[in-house]
Amino acid sequence: MDIDPNEIVQLTRRDFLATAASGIGGLAFASLLQADGLLAAEARTLPAPPLAVKAPHFAPKAKQCIFIYMEGGTSQVDLFDPKPKLIELNGQKMPESMTKNVRFAFLQKDSAVLMGSPHKFQRYGKCGTEMSSMLPHLGSCADDIALVRSMHTEAFNHHPGELMMYTGVQTLGRPSVGAWINYALGSPSQNLPGYVVLTAGRVPSGGNTMFGSGFLPSTYQGVLFRNQGEPVQDLANPPGMTAEMRHYGLDALRDLNKMRQKVVGDPEIASRIAAYELAARMQVSAPELTDLSRESKETLEAYGVDREAGGLKTQRGGGPEAFKTFSRNCLLARRMVERGVRFVNIHHASWDHHNDLDSDLLFNCRVTDQPVGALLKDLKQRGLLDTTLVVWSSEFGRTPLGENRPGVKIVTGRDHHPHAFSIWMAGGGVKGGQVIGETDELGWNVAKDPMHVNDFHATILHLFGLDHTRLTYRFQGRDFRLTDVAGKVAPKVFS
Amino acid sequence: MGRFAAILISGLVLLAQLADAATSLAPTAKLSPVVSNVIDFARDIQPIFAERCYSCHGAEKQKSGLRLDRKTNALAGGDSGKILQPHKSAESLLIKYVSGLDPEKIMPPKGERLTTNQVALLRAWIDGGAVWPDNVELGTRNPERLQHWSFQAPQRTPPPKVKAARWVRNPIDAFVLAKLESEDIKPSPEADRVTLIRRLSLDLLGLPPSPEQVQSFLKDKRPDAYERLVDALLSSPHFGERWGRHWLDLARYADSEGYQIDRARPFAYVYRNWVINAINRDLPFDQFTIEQLAGDLLPNATVEQKIAVGFHRNTLMNHESGVDREEFVCKAKVDRVSTTGTVWLGLTVGCAECHTHKYDPITQREFYQLYAFFNNVEEVDIPAVQPTELEKYTREKKSFDEETARLKTALEAYSKESLRTNQSKWEQGFSVPATRWTVLQPTNVASAEGTVLKTQSDHSVRAVGRIRSSDTYTIEVATKLKGITGFRLEVLPVSGKGAARNRPRNFVLSEFNVQEPGTVGQFRPILLQNASADFSPKEFPISGAIDGLATSGWSITPNAEQRHVAVFESRAGVDCSTGGKLVFTLAQKSGIQSTIGHFRISATTSPQPLRADLLPDSVIQIFETTPEKRTKKQIEELAKYYREEVDPVSKNLTQQLEKLSRRAPAYQEARAQIFTEGTNALKTFVHVRGDFMRHGDEVQPGTLAALHPFKPRSEKPDRLDLARWLVEPTNPLTSRVTVNHAWQHLFGRGLVATPGDFGMRGEPPSHLELLNWLAMEFRQRGWSRKALIKLIVTSATYRQVSHIREDLNERDPVNILLARQNRFRLESEIIRDVYLAAGGKLNAVVGGPSFRPPMPETFKALGGAGAFEWVDSEGSEIYRRGLYVFTQRTVPYPVSMTFDAASSSETCTRRERSTTPLQALTLMNNLVFVECAQGLGQRMQKEKSGRVRLKIEHGFELCFARKPSGEELARLEKLYDEELRLTRSHPEFAEKIIGTGEVDHSEVAETAALVAVGQILMNLDEFITRE
Repeated sequence: MDIDPNEIVQLTRRDFLATAASGIGGLAFASLLQADGLLAAEARTLPAPPLAVKAPHFAPKAKQCIFIYMEGGTSQVDLFDPKPKLIELNGQKMPESMTKNVRFAFLQKDSAVLMGSPHKFQRYGKCGTEMSSMLPHLGSCADDIALVRSMHTEAFNHHPGELMMYTGVQTLGRPSVGAWINYALGSPSQNLPGYVVLTAGRVPSGGNTMFGSGFLPSTYQGVLFRNQGEPVQDLANPPGMTAEMRHYGLDALRDLNKMRQKVVGDPEIASRIAAYELAARMQVSAPELTDLSRESKETLEAYGVDREAGGLKTQRGGGPEAFKTFSRNCLLARRMVERGVRFVNIHHASWDHHNDLDSDLLFNCRVTDQPVGALLKDLKQRGLLDTTLVVWSSEFGRTPLGENRPGVKIVTGRDHHPHAFSIWMAGGGVKGGQVIGETDELGWNVAKDPMHVNDFHATILHLFGLDHTRLTYRFQGRDFRLTDVAGKVAPKVFS
Repeated sequence: MGRFAAILISGLVLLAQLADAATSLAPTAKLSPVVSNVIDFARDIQPIFAERCYSCHGAEKQKSGLRLDRKTNALAGGDSGKILQPHKSAESLLIKYVSGLDPEKIMPPKGERLTTNQVALLRAWIDGGAVWPDNVELGTRNPERLQHWSFQAPQRTPPPKVKAARWVRNPIDAFVLAKLESEDIKPSPEADRVTLIRRLSLDLLGLPPSPEQVQSFLKDKRPDAYERLVDALLSSPHFGERWGRHWLDLARYADSEGYQIDRARPFAYVYRNWVINAINRDLPFDQFTIEQLAGDLLPNATVEQKIAVGFHRNTLMNHESGVDREEFVCKAKVDRVSTTGTVWLGLTVGCAECHTHKYDPITQREFYQLYAFFNNVEEVDIPAVQPTELEKYTREKKSFDEETARLKTALEAYSKESLRTNQSKWEQGFSVPATRWTVLQPTNVASAEGTVLKTQSDHSVRAVGRIRSSDTYTIEVATKLKGITGFRLEVLPVSGKGAARNRPRNFVLSEFNVQEPGTVGQFRPILLQNASADFSPKEFPISGAIDGLATSGWSITPNAEQRHVAVFESRAGVDCSTGGKLVFTLAQKSGIQSTIGHFRISATTSPQPLRADLLPDSVIQIFETTPEKRTKKQIEELAKYYREEVDPVSKNLTQQLEKLSRRAPAYQEARAQIFTEGTNALKTFVHVRGDFMRHGDEVQPGTLAALHPFKPRSEKPDRLDLARWLVEPTNPLTSRVTVNHAWQHLFGRGLVATPGDFGMRGEPPSHLELLNWLAMEFRQRGWSRKALIKLIVTSATYRQVSHIREDLNERDPVNILLARQNRFRLESEIIRDVYLAAGGKLNAVVGGPSFRPPMPETFKALGGAGAFEWVDSEGSEIYRRGLYVFTQRTVPYPVSMTFDAASSSETCTRRERSTTPLQALTLMNNLVFVECAQGLGQRMQKEKSGRVRLKIEHGFELCFARKPSGEELARLEKLYDEELRLTRSHPEFAEKIIGTGEVDHSEVAETAALVAVGQILMNLDEFITRE
C-alpha cells in the first residue's frame, strides 16, 4: 500500500463533491460546497450535511485521533511512575493523614500496607523517560510520547470513571469525546462514519452508551466495527438481494424521493437522499477497510496480527485471542486514519487488577505493547503522526497500597486510585519526549502540574483547534460542554 | 404592534440561530443585519448585557471604566469614550467590539461570541434610538428576573379580531391568523382528507390508517366527519401508547438500573401500564401529577395511585461492587428534583445543584429545599397484580394444560394400540452396529480460562463456573486399549437445554486433538481423519474441528438442544498398552459464543470406517443380551428408547410434549416500584458545590420564592403539598409547560421552542397570547389532555398542508408563524410501528412487560460485564410496538439509538431528528425492517388480484394512505419490471427475498419483485415522515 494517505482523503472528497455536483443530493450538499467556496451563497436555509467538515476555532495541530482506552484502571506505579520510596517502605503502613476521608472500593484502610512495585523500570529514548521494562515497544517511541503522571479524577468506580473519561461527566447518556469532536469538526471521510469504535478482549463495562452521541444528533455516535466478518451491523444487503437488484431499487428510491420533494418542497428529503447514497458508498468502503490482504507482510508482523499468546494467561476475560484482535484493531485504526475517519476508539479491557496483578500486567502489556508501538511508528513513517493524536488512558490508577480485601488471605493486587494516575499522548502536535507532572514519593497524590480529566479533554480539544468553553450544545435549557463547568488547557502538552 | 414585533423578532432570532448552528464555529466577520426597529429594552437588550457584560461591566467591576447596568453610566461610555451612538449602530463602539470587527478587541473576551441575532438585536435597539426606559434601571440581581414573562400568571386575552374570519375554526386560529395577517401572510389551505387522516393517526396513535379507515373517512360526508374521526382516535387504546411514550420520555423510563451492573427491572412496565391507562382514561392532568409525585400520600391511596409514584423510581442505581451507595442514592434524589423542575415547571432547576442559578431566580438553597421533599423517601416494591397479565397467564395456562392433556392422551392411546407391536417388529429387523465404544475415564481435566471442569460418575465432564467465550479444555484419560481406530465425542444436553453453556447461544469446537505419550515425556499428536457428526451444519462442519484452523469449527445450532455425537478416525492404530494414557484438547475459540457444558469421550477398536451414530452404547448392550436374559431395567430402557427415539409417531408426540413443557407459562406476580415516606426523618443540608459529602446549612422543604406562594397543609410540608403547589391555579408555569408539550407533539415544535426551559435563557414564545389562552383553557377544561388535543387538532391551523412555502423561505423558513403545518420524521418507536403495521406483522396488544427484539451478538457482547443478559424474545412478541422494546440503559437497542430515541437516563423534553447513513442501512438491511418489507410484498401479492399495477397501488396505499401519482406509479412499475427480470433469472435468490411467510410457490419471482418494490416504498422519505 503505497498510497499517500492525504491523497486518499482528497480523492474521496473530490469524488464526493463530483457526485454531489452531478445532481444527486445536490441540494443537501449545497452548504458544504458553500463552505468550500464552490457555490454562491444562495442556498443558505438548507441544512448542511451533519458530517461536513467545519472550521475549528483556531488553527489546529491535530486533525484525527486514535483514542486507546485501557479499561479497568492501569497501575501507574508498576508501569509509568517509578517510586523507589514505595519500594523502600514496602510492607509498612501509610500515614493515617493521607488516607483520612479517602474512599476505597474494597481496601481495608486500617490494616492495608504499602506495596512497592516488583517490576523493573528503565529509561527509554533520548529523553530517558522511565517506563516499565514490560513496555519495550512503547519505550522505543518514548521520544514521541508526552507522559502525564499527574492525572486525577473524582470517580473511583469503573462505570462513573469511564463515563468521566469518555464524556467528561459521571452521568450516563452524555456525548462522548469522539462525538463532540465530530459535532465540532465533521469528518473528512464521506464514505465512513466519523467516529468508529473497535473493541478487543473483554467488552466495555459501560456498554455502548460509552460511545454514544448523548443529546447530540445520532450522526455523531460511535459506530461499532467488528474486526471480522461483516464490519458494520446491517451493512450487507438482505438475503437474496443482489447488488444489481439493490441498484435498481436505489435508483427508484432516489427518483421517487425527488418526485415527492417537488410536491412538498422539503429540503430534508434531499438530506435523506444523500444519506442513502452515503450508505451505499459505505457498503463498499467498509469491507475494503477491514480487508488486510493488501498490507505487507512486514506491516502485519510489526503489528503482530498473527501473534499467539505464547502460553500467557489472564484471569480477566479477553483470553489469548486478545493478542490477535488488539493487533488487528491497531492496524485498522491506522487504515481508518488514512481514510479520513476523524476519531477512532480502541477499547481494551481489563486492567482491573485487584488480584494477580503481576501475571495480568504481564499479559496485558504483552497484548498491547507491540501493536501500540507499531502503530506509533507506522503513523510516523507515513507522515500521519503529525496530525494524528494518539491517546492512551484509563479511568483511574491503582493504589500504592496492596489490596487487603476482607476474606482474601494473600495480597496480590491493588485497589482503585483516582487521586493520581498516568496517561500518555503522542502525535497531533503533542511535544514528545517529556514527562508532565509529578506525584509524591509514594505515588499517592499529585505533587506538581495536576491534570484533571476536564483539563485532559480541554487539552485534546485545544489540539484540534477548539476552545472547550466555546464548544457547546444547548440541551434542556443549558449549554453543555465536554468539559462540564471546568477544564484548563495544559500548554505543556504541546509546547 | 409591540407584541407583533416581539414575535417577529423571536422568529428571526430562531432563524438566525439556525444559521448559527451551521456556522457557529466559523468566525463571522461581517456585520449582522438589523432585525427590526421595535425593540423592548428590558426584554431584548438587558438580558444580553446581564448575561454577557455585567461580570466585567456591572455593579461590581467596571473594566475600562464602563458600567452597563445603569443607564447614565452606560450612555456616558467608558475609557474609550461613548460606546453608543443612538440611531447609528454601525458607528457605535459597542457594535464594533461585539461583532468582532476589531480583531484586537473582541467583546466579550471570554466564552462564546455574541450570536448573530444578539448583535442584530443590539443594532436594532441602537438604530431605534437606544431607548432605555428609566424604570428598568436595575443594578441588583433579581428583580428583572422576576419580571420574566413565564413567571407572570397567564392572562386570558380574548381571541383577536381577524379579517379572514371564515378561516377560523376555533380561537387558536384567531391568534395564529392575526399574526399572519399583520405580516400580510396567508395561511396554507387545508390538507386533503387522506393527508389529514394519516397525520391524525400518526399523531394520536402512532399507527398509519388502514386503507379501509381511509375509505370510510373519505366517504363520510357528514359535516362533523373530521370531529368524529378525532373522537374515534382519541378513544382508541393506542392513544395511550402514543401519548404515554411522550410522557415516558419525560419520566426517563427504562427497564434496567443503569451503570455497570445494569440489572433488569422486570416490573418497570407496571408503571408504564399505569401511564398508558391513565392517559387512555384521560385522568385529569392535575390528578395525573399529584398521583405520580405523591400518590402514596393520598388518603386511602389505592394500589393504582401508589403505582403512579413509580415516576420517580425510574432513576438510576449503581450496583458496581465497591460503590458508595449513599453517593448514588443522593444522585437519584438530585435527579428527582431536576426532573420535577424540568417536567412541570419547564425550568432548569438542576442548574442550581452546585451553585445558585446563573440566569433564573433559583438559589442553591431552594434546590435543596426541593430536595428535602424527596430526602426522606424509602424505596419499596409492593405487590401490584396486573389484571391483564393474570388474565393472559390464565388463558395461556388453560391452553397449555389442554394441549398437554391432548398430547398425553394421544400418546397413551398410541402406546396401548400399536406401540408394543411396532417395537417387536423393529427389534426383529434391527442389525446391531459393528462399532463398539469404550468410554474413556478422565484422570485429569483442565481449562485454560479457569472454567471449572468436573468429572461425573458416568465419566462425562461437566463445565461450571464463569462462562467464557473462548476456552481450551484439556482432558487426560487412562486407558490400556490397543489398536484404537478412532474416537468419539458426545456433547450432552444439560437439563434439557443443550450442551452449550450460555443457552440459547452456541459453542464452536475449533479444534479437537488427541496426543499420546511419546519418548522422554514428550507427547505426540495422533493424526485424525474422516470426521463425521450426526449433525454438521454447512457453515460449521465437523471437518472444521480437525483442519488445524482456529477460525473454523463445529457447532450444533439450530439443533442445539439435543445430544450430538462426533466421531474421528485415527490414521493409524493407537496402542495405549504401554503409555497408558491419552490427552485430548478441545479448543473453542469463537470469542463470541460460549463453550461446551457437558461432554464425554470414548474410543473404539472396531474396524473403520467409523460413522457418527446416536445409538446409545447401553442399547447396543441390550441387543447383545439375549431377550430372555435382559433385566427388567434393560427392558424398560429399550422400550423407552424405542418410544422416544425410534418410533416416528411416539417420538413426535414425546418431543412435542417436551417442547411444550419448556414453554409452560409462568406467572410471577408483578411488583410495583414505588416509594413511601421513611420513618426516620432525615435532615436535609445544602450540598456544598454539589458534593454530597460536604454539608452546608440545614434546610426545610420549600418551593421557589420567585413563583406563586406555597401553602402547605401543615408545618411539615410533604410531597403532596409540593404536587398540589405545582398544579395550583396560581402556578404560572405548569399549565403553559404542559400545553406546550402537546403543541410540540402536534406541530413538531413547541410555541416555546425550548420545552425544558421557560427561563431567561429559553426561547421566548412565538405566540404568547395563544400559549396563555391554551394554558387557561386547559385548566378550565378540567386539565383534560384529550380535550386539549382535540381543541388543537380541530383547529384550521393544525389542518393546513405542510408543504414548504417558497414565498416564506426568506421570511419564515422554520415556520414560526405557522402559515403551514410542519413535516417531520417520525420517532424511533413509531418508525418501527409503521413498518410493522404496513407489513401486516404488528402485534397490537396494549400494555404488559417489555420484550427483547433480536439483538446482534456484537451488541449483546457489549453488556457482558454486568448482570446484562439479553435473551431474544420469541414468536409474535417480537412484533410488538416500539414502546415495548426493553430499554437496557447501558446497551440500548441499536435501532433506538440510530433514530434518536430518548436517552432514558435523564428526562428528555425534546428529541433530536437526525438523518444519517446508518439509518439508511438499518431500514434497508436490519432484520425486522426486511421482514416488514417481505410482509408488504406478500400483502400486495395476496390482497389484490389482477394486474401488477393494482398490487403496487395497494402497497402504496398501505404505506402512504394516498394513491400514487401517475408518475410515481410508472416509476414503481418500471422498478417492478427490472426486479422481476432478475428474480426470474435467479429463482434461488427470489426464494430468499420472499422470506418465510406463507407464499404461493407458483409466483415466487413475482412476489420477490413485489417485496423488492415494497422495500423501496418503505424506505421512501414519506414513509417515515408525518406530513
